[in-house]
Amino acid sequence: MTVELAHHLYLLIAVLGLALSVSYGGQPVLCQGAFLAVGGFGVVHLERAGLPLAAAVFAAAAIAACAGYLVGLLTARLRGAAVALSTWAFAWLVYALLHAFPAVSGGSQGLVRPTPARLDSALFGVTVTLTPPVHVAVAGTLCLLSLTAVARLTRGPAGLDWAALREAPALATSLGVPVLRRRAALLATTAAFAAVSGAGITVLLGVAAPSDVSPLLSLQLFVAALIGGTARLWGPVLGLLVIAVIPPLGEVLADAVGLPAEASGGVLTALTLVAVPFLRKPIERLTARWPERAERPREPVEDSEKFATLTTSRAGVTLTAQRLDVGIGESDILTGVNLEVRAGEVHALIGPNGSGKTTALRALAGALRPKGGRISLEETDVTGAGQFEMVRRGVTRTFQRTVGLERLCPHRQVLLGVRGGTPVPFAAVRDLFGSASMHDHAATADREAWRVLHVTELAQRAFDRPGTLGAGEQRLLQVARAVATRARVLLLDEPAVGMTGPERATLARVLRRLAADGVAVLLVEHDVALVYGVADRITVLDRGRVLASGTPEATAADPAVRRIYLGDADPSSTHA
Amino acid sequence: MSGGVALQAFMSGLALGTAYGLIAMGFSLVFRLTGVVSFAHGDLVVGGVFIGVLVVLGSTPVAAALDVMHSVGLAVLVVAAGAALSASVYLLAVRPFLPGAGHRSARGDVLGWVAGGLAAGLLIREVLGLVLTQDAYAVPDPLRLGSLTPSGALQLPGGGTVAVRTLGVIGIGLAVGILVERLLVLTPVGTAMKAVSEDPTAAALLGLPVRRLVFAAFVVAGALAGLAGLLISPDRSLSVDDGVVLGLKAMAAALVGGLGSVRGALAGGLALGVIESFVVASSVLGPQYADVIPLAILLIVLALGRRGLRSTLREDPE
Repeated sequence: MTVELAHHLYLLIAVLGLALSVSYGGQPVLCQGAFLAVGGFGVVHLERAGLPLAAAVFAAAAIAACAGYLVGLLTARLRGAAVALSTWAFAWLVYALLHAFPAVSGGSQGLVRPTPARLDSALFGVTVTLTPPVHVAVAGTLCLLSLTAVARLTRGPAGLDWAALREAPALATSLGVPVLRRRAALLATTAAFAAVSGAGITVLLGVAAPSDVSPLLSLQLFVAALIGGTARLWGPVLGLLVIAVIPPLGEVLADAVGLPAEASGGVLTALTLVAVPFLRKPIERLTARWPERAERPREPVEDSEKFATLTTSRAGVTLTAQRLDVGIGESDILTGVNLEVRAGEVHALIGPNGSGKTTALRALAGALRPKGGRISLEETDVTGAGQFEMVRRGVTRTFQRTVGLERLCPHRQVLLGVRGGTPVPFAAVRDLFGSASMHDHAATADREAWRVLHVTELAQRAFDRPGTLGAGEQRLLQVARAVATRARVLLLDEPAVGMTGPERATLARVLRRLAADGVAVLLVEHDVALVYGVADRITVLDRGRVLASGTPEATAADPAVRRIYLGDADPSSTHA
Repeated sequence: MSGGVALQAFMSGLALGTAYGLIAMGFSLVFRLTGVVSFAHGDLVVGGVFIGVLVVLGSTPVAAALDVMHSVGLAVLVVAAGAALSASVYLLAVRPFLPGAGHRSARGDVLGWVAGGLAAGLLIREVLGLVLTQDAYAVPDPLRLGSLTPSGALQLPGGGTVAVRTLGVIGIGLAVGILVERLLVLTPVGTAMKAVSEDPTAAALLGLPVRRLVFAAFVVAGALAGLAGLLISPDRSLSVDDGVVLGLKAMAAALVGGLGSVRGALAGGLALGVIESFVVASSVLGPQYADVIPLAILLIVLALGRRGLRSTLREDPE
C-alpha cells in the first residue's frame, strides 16, 4: 500500500512536469514516458558507474533536461498536431531503442538495482535507508515543492510569457518573447521532472524495465495532465486520481466480467482519453472565472500628467527600405519600394486593397524575407533579420486582426511588452528564488507599464477584462503593448479599424504624443481623414509600387493619387 | 552485402513499401481534405486484419490453409473491416472536433481530435487485446500465391530468392495504389475532393457535399489500410500492438513523399520500405533497427522538413 502510494506520488511529479508543457506552454507533448525512461535507466547506469545515488539522480535529470531541450528545439516551430505527432514518434523511438539494445535496458527483465537503497551523507554523517515510507515523504515533499514553485512562477514574469506562448505565439514574438527558446526550456523542465520521477520509481521498485515506461504510460500521463490543465489548482490531484484509480478499477472490472486485468486498464485509459476532450470545454466553462479578480496592484502615486510626458530616453532612429522587392511564394507583391520612417514622424502608408501595405509592414518587421533590396536601421543593415531580432533592435509591429490574450488584463498585457522589450536574463529562475534585483526589476517594469497605459490613455481600464473593452479600446491596447516594448520604430497595421469617432481622435493624440517622444511611426491605414490629420509624411502604394511620397499636401495634389482614390482626374469632384 | 542479397532485400523492401505506400496514401488523402493527422490510422490496419480473421476462422488466428471461399471472404472482410473501422473512428473521434465546413484555418479543436485519434487507436488495440492474448499471431494467407511454384519461390540472378508471394504483393499493391490515384485524378468525385482540399469554404459554397466527401475519404483510407494489412500480415507474425509503429512508418512515408500528395505517399512508402529492408539485411545495422530508423526519419523530416511542409505543419512564430 505504501509502495503504491509512493509510486503514484512519483508519477504525480511527472504529471506536474508535463503540465508545464501541456497546460502552461500549450504544447501537446506525448513522450513523457520516454523522459521517465531516461531517469529510470540513467540512474541505474550512473550508479553502476560509481556515482552516489543523489548525484546519479541529479545527473540523470540533467541528461533528460538536455534531451528535452533538444526535442523542444526540434518541435518548437511545429503546429500543435505536428508536435503531438513528433513527440508520439519520439516516445515509440525510445521504446524501440530500449528493445533494440538489451545492454541499455536489461531486455524484457529490465535492470535490477540492489534494494533497499541507502542515502549516505558525508556532510551530516547519517545514513537514511529508503524504505517505502521514506519514499512517500520524499515524493510528497517534491510534489508540494513543485506545486509551490509553479504557482509562484505563474504569478511572475514566466506566467506572462506562458500565457502569450499558448494563446498567441506570433503576438508573443512581436512583443519580444523568445518563443522557440521558451518552448524548449519548458520541455527541458518537463523532462527533468520526468527523470526525477523515473529515478524515484526505479529506486522504489528496485528495477527499471522497458514495459514500465511504454508509450501507454506517456498516454496516461498526458490524460492526467490534460485533466489537470482544466483547473490549475486541484487539477493535478484529479490527474493523480486518474492514474491511481484506473488500475484497481480495471481489476475490479476484470473480476466482474472475467477479462485480463491489464487490458481492461487500457480500455479504461482509452475511454478516459475519449471523454477528456468532450469534458474539457464544459469543465473549463464551469471553472472559468476571471483570474485577475483577486489581485489589483495599486497604481504608483505619481502625477498622471507627468507620467504621460516622461520620455523613453532612447535615441530616435530611422528605418529605411531601399528598392525593396517582396514576394510571397511565386507571386511578387512589392517591387522597388523605397520608404523612410524617420524618428519623431508619423509616416502613413496608404493605398487601395491589395496594394501591398501589410506586406511592406511585415517585411519591415522582419516577418517576411525580402527577395531584393535593403532594409536598414540608421546605418545598420537589417535585411533578413528575423522578427524577434527586429524587436530586440526596437522595431515592433501590431497585427491587422485583433489578437487577444483573453485572460490577461490590460495592465498585464502591457507588462508583457515591457518585459519582452527589456529582457532580464534568467528572469524565471531569479524570480523563483526571490532575488532582490528581480524585485527592483519588477518595480521598474510596473512603473513603465503604467507610463505606457497613461500615454495610450488606457489607465482607466487597466484591470478590466479584455472582453469588456470596446473594439476600439482593444485596438488601442494593441498599440499600447507594442509601445511597451520601448520600440523606437512602431509599425501599426490599421489600428483604427472598428474605432468610433472619439476613439480615432484619441488614437491621433496618442500617435502625435509618441512622435513627439521621438518614436518613428509607420501607420498603415484606410481612414484618409485620420491619415491626413496625423501624418507628417504619406506614401501611396498601388499594385506593389510607390505611386507618390511626400507631405500630405503634396500627395493630396498628386494627379496619380487623385486618380486611384477619386476615380477620375477632375479636381472638382471631391466627395471621396 | 552481395548483389544477390541486395536484390533480394530490394524486392522484399518493395513489397513492404507497397503496403506502407497504401497506408500512407489514405493518411495523405485524409490530411489533404481535413488537415487531420490521423493517429489511429495504423491501428486500422491491424484491426481490419484481426477482425477479418476472427470472423472467418471463428477463432483466434492459426496459419491454416484456406479454401477459395474462405480466402475470398477473408480478403473482402478485411478490406471492409478497415473501411468500417475508419468510418467509425471518423464519426466518433474526429468529426465532433472538426469545425463546420469552411473553417479549416481554425482546424477545429486540435487537442480534441488528437486525443480522439489516440484514444480510438488505443481502444482498438485494447479491445482486440481482450480476445487476442498472445504476443503475436500467424495470419492465414488468402492470396495463396506460394502454390504457383513447387518451392513457392523464384531464383533471382546473383543467388538470392524471392517468394512468388512477394511479387504478387508488389503487383496487387501497386496496381490498386495507381488505380486509386488515377480515380482521384480522373473521376468527378476525385475532382470534388481536390476542390475540398484546396478550399473547403469555396467547395461548400459551390454546393459540394463537403462532409460526405470527407467521410468518403476516411472510408477509402480505411479500405486501403485494410488491403495493406492483408498484403503484409501473412509474411510476419502480427501483434495487436504493431499498429502504432505501422501507422507512424506510414506517416513517415507520407511526409517523405511530400505531405498531401497521394502519388507522393505511394512513392514515399516504396522508398521507406526499401530503406527498412536494407537496414534489416545490413550486417552493420541489422533487424533491431527495423523500427528505429523509420521513426528517426519521421522525426527528422518533421523537424527539418522541406518548405512545402511549413505552411501545413509549421507556424514559424519567429
